[in-house]
Amino acid sequence: MSEKLYSLLLRLFPSEFRQRFGEEAIQLFRDRFREEKGFWLRLRLWADLICDLVVTVPREHVRVEPQIAEVSAAGVKRGPAFQITPRATTRFVAIFLGIAVSLAVLCIFALSVRYVIRHPATAPGLVPRALDSGVSSGNERSQAPNTDSLKLDTRTQKRVIEAAATNLREHYVDRPLGQQVADSLLAQERNGGYDGVTDPAAFADLVTQQMRNMNADATLTYFRQILPQPTGAPTAQQLAGYRREMEESNCTFEAVQILKDNVGYFKLNSFPDASVCGAKAVSAMAELNHADAVIFDLRDNRGGFPAMTTLIASYLFDHPEYWYNPRENTTEHSWTASPVRGNRLADKPVYILTSRTTISGAEQFAYDLKMLKRATLVGERTAGAAHAGAFFRIDDHFGMGITEVEAINPFSKSNWDGVGVEPDVKIDAADALNTAEKLAEAKLAKK
Amino acid sequence: MPKRKLTPLPAAAFQILLALVDDDLHGYGIMRHVAEQTGGRMRLGPGTLYTSIRTLLEAKLIEEIDGRENAKGHEERRRYYRLTPTGRKLVRSEAERLADLLRVARAKNVLRGEYV
Repeated sequence: MSEKLYSLLLRLFPSEFRQRFGEEAIQLFRDRFREEKGFWLRLRLWADLICDLVVTVPREHVRVEPQIAEVSAAGVKRGPAFQITPRATTRFVAIFLGIAVSLAVLCIFALSVRYVIRHPATAPGLVPRALDSGVSSGNERSQAPNTDSLKLDTRTQKRVIEAAATNLREHYVDRPLGQQVADSLLAQERNGGYDGVTDPAAFADLVTQQMRNMNADATLTYFRQILPQPTGAPTAQQLAGYRREMEESNCTFEAVQILKDNVGYFKLNSFPDASVCGAKAVSAMAELNHADAVIFDLRDNRGGFPAMTTLIASYLFDHPEYWYNPRENTTEHSWTASPVRGNRLADKPVYILTSRTTISGAEQFAYDLKMLKRATLVGERTAGAAHAGAFFRIDDHFGMGITEVEAINPFSKSNWDGVGVEPDVKIDAADALNTAEKLAEAKLAKK
Repeated sequence: MPKRKLTPLPAAAFQILLALVDDDLHGYGIMRHVAEQTGGRMRLGPGTLYTSIRTLLEAKLIEEIDGRENAKGHEERRRYYRLTPTGRKLVRSEAERLADLLRVARAKNVLRGEYV
C-alpha cells in the first residue's frame, strides 16, 4: 500500500529521472520502510519523503539536460546549428493510450452529432411544440402504424400501462381524477383485463375506452398506436416532407381572390406551420388588403398550427386581442400581433364559412372571432374537436393524449369541444358562400 | 554544467563521496552511512540521493558497478557505486579545504577547544 503510494508520488518526477532511478528509489523506500518501524519512525520516514519531494521535484523539472547545455554552448561558438539531442522515446503504451482516447472522443462526438441531427427535437426549441404535441391537426388517428412485427405480450402490456398511469398522474389537468384513472388502469392490468389482447390497435382502443369511461372530457384523452419511431419528435425527413407538401399544395391555401363588390375571399384548408407558410399567409392577406369585406372559407379546413390562426387573426384587429387557445395557457402567443403595419382590414366585415367537417384549429379561429364579435359565421355547426391534449409518447408503438392545461377561457366556461361552434347563420355548407356574399353585399350597401 | 553544480561541493554530494571512501555501496547503504556520519542529522531522501548521485556520475566522480554477491552468496541486482580516482582526489581536497577552514576558525577561537 505504502509502496504503491510512494511509486505514485514518484510519478511527479520527470520520466527521464524515473527511468533511470525509479526502481532504485522504490528499493530505497522499501529498505527504509522495512527498517524503520513504529509510529514515530514511520512518521519521520514520510516527513522525510515529502520534504525530499518538495525540494527535488521542482529542481528536476527545471533541470537542463547536460547534452542540451553542451549543444547550446557549442552552438554559440560555431554559429547557428541544428542538432538532435537524444531523448527518451515515448513509450508504446503511452502512444497506444493516446490513440485510444482520441478515437473514443472522436466516436462520442460523431455519435452525438448524428444523434442530434436525427432527433433535432432533443435540442429544445428546434421544433414547434405543436408538431409533437399531437394537437397539430385533426388527422391523428388516420396514421396507419406498421404493426406487423408487434404482438403484445403481458410484459409489454404491463410496461405500457405503467407508463400510461405515470403520465396520467403527472400530467392530467385534474390531479385526483388522473390518479383515479391511473389506478383503475393498473388494477385492470393486474386483474388480467388485457389478457389475450395481442393486437396493438385493439389494445389501444380498449385503453382509450376505459379512460374515457372514467372522465368527462372524452375527446381530450386518448391512447393510440403510433408509428414505430425512436422518439416522439418529428424527424428531419418528416419536416422536409411537410415543407415539400406545403409547397406543392400552396400551403393548402386553395383560393385568394376578390369577388364582386370588392369582397375578398380566402379559402384555406388548414392552418399550416407559420415557420413554413408564414410568408405565403402574409402575401395572401396583402392581396386582400384593399377588400371592403373578407370571407374566410373554412369549410374544408382540417385545423393546424395555433400560431397560424394568431397570425391571420392579427390582421382583423387594430389592437392586440386575447387569442384564446384551449390547448395552452396564456403565453406571449396568446395575443394577436395587431396592429399590422399597412393593414386596412382591421375594421372590415368578416364572414367565416363553416361545415360539419371544420375541425380543430379552424374551430378555434371561428370560435374566437365569433366570441370577439368580429366575424359572422355562416354554414353548419363545426365538428367539435379541440384536441387540447398534449401528446406523450410511451414507446415505439404507443402514445397518449392527455388534457394537460385548463386554459383561461375569457368567453364562456366551455369551448367547442364535443359540441362544435354554432354558426350565426345556419345554412347548408354548400350554400354558405352565396349567403355570405349576399350578407356582405347588404352590409356594404348600408354604408 | 555538472562542474558548476559541484563547486562548491554541496553538502550532500560531499557526504556521499565520503561514504564511498571505504566501500562500494548501493543507494540505501549510502543513505545509512551518511546518516551515521552526521549523527542522524542528514537523512537523504531518494530524490536528493539520486539527483546527487546522477550529478556525481556525470562529473565522473563516482561510477556505477553492477550487482555484486551479497553475504549469502546471491548476486544482488542493486546498483552499487564506487569512488573514481578523480572522486577520491576531490574528497581529499575538499577535506583539506575544510581542514584549512577549521584551522582558521580555531585560531580565531570561534570554536570551544573541547569540541575539536
